Amino acid sequence: MNVTATLFGQMITFIVFVWFIKAYLWEPLTQAMESRTKKISEGLAAAEQGQKKIEQATIEFSTRIDEAKTQASSIINDAESKSKNIVEEARVAAREEAQKIAKTSSQQLEQEVNAAREKLKSDVAALSLLCAEKIITKEVDKNMHDKIIDEVLNK
Amino acid sequence: MDNKAPATDNPVDYIQHHLQPLAVGDGFWRINIDTMFFSILLAGLVMIIAYRVGRTVTSGAPTGMQNVLESLIDFVNSLVKEAFPKPNKIVGPIGLTIFVWVLLMNAMDLIPVDLLPKLADMMGIHYLKVVPTTDPHTTFAMSLCIFLLCIYYNVKIKGFGGYMKSFMVHPFGIYLAPVNFILTLVEELAKPLSLALRLFGNMFTGELVFLLIALLPWYIIPIPGSLWAIFHILVITLQAFIFMVLTIMYISMASEESH
Repeated sequence: MNVTATLFGQMITFIVFVWFIKAYLWEPLTQAMESRTKKISEGLAAAEQGQKKIEQATIEFSTRIDEAKTQASSIINDAESKSKNIVEEARVAAREEAQKIAKTSSQQLEQEVNAAREKLKSDVAALSLLCAEKIITKEVDKNMHDKIIDEVLNK
Repeated sequence: MDNKAPATDNPVDYIQHHLQPLAVGDGFWRINIDTMFFSILLAGLVMIIAYRVGRTVTSGAPTGMQNVLESLIDFVNSLVKEAFPKPNKIVGPIGLTIFVWVLLMNAMDLIPVDLLPKLADMMGIHYLKVVPTTDPHTTFAMSLCIFLLCIYYNVKIKGFGGYMKSFMVHPFGIYLAPVNFILTLVEELAKPLSLALRLFGNMFTGELVFLLIALLPWYIIPIPGSLWAIFHILVITLQAFIFMVLTIMYISMASEESH
């Protein structure tokens, strides 16, 4: 083999080829690969973080649910006892009211009975006086007889 | 050149004819057109693919050719990272280019030995060597570029004095400086020489064996022909790989701080 232009031609071809590959293939592709590596590792980190967040959220969720459950049961208990109280109170009030009504009505009744009795008494007195007046017209002193009748009636 | 008859009648002529490059010019300006044509054709092919992939490159999910090239780049890059402690911007592209180019040029060997020369013969071109790596010009061109790059890195990293000093003291210490100088010189020169000759020798003998197989009667050719072609796929890839790895090794040795 002699040193000929072919050798230099091939050398130039080689150098141009290397330069071209470096400029148009190697650099953009290695950059893309690097950025992809970065992207993937970032994505994995984000996924891990998300996983952690989910775990935290589930824990928080369950505690919240527990809290809510206890709260709800306490509210229900409160409500139950309150309603019992109210019913009890209402019952007591009703009973008192009923008693009061019964009392007043019996009082009224008594008063009426008394009034009727008074009236009857006076009516009877008047009637008997009238009768006596009619029966024993002149001889009987009205005042004396009234006194006697009163005594009788009072007895 | 008719069918088998002239080949088997005159095997020496047949082989010599096939090993004759298509050349123009004399002396220094002798240019092997076939070598240049096929090597530039393959380089151009790779450049077109590289340009198209490089223009539409995406850092998202890669598809098609980008996948292929990315795995190649990853492969080369892992070799470079093993050999180089410090990042080096040029070695990767050189390794990739060498691997792809040498692989494709070697792969021309797998095209039946008579096919392209015969087609060229029909078009009036009477000599054609299809495989550029069977031309020592190609292999020496690459190894010389690498040799020059090695010298550049030696001088850049060690300084000119340091580089000269490594010639003087390298194997046996300073007291045997002349011996050291000769030994180191031979060692340094042997690197590009062996690099070029290894590839050339392998491909040349491979081609020669294909030619010898082509001389056999047509009903025997398929058996040794296919066997040798299958074996040759290994040789092609291996030689491209060796050339790339040695290139990376030589440049990394040249850019080491001290011997």
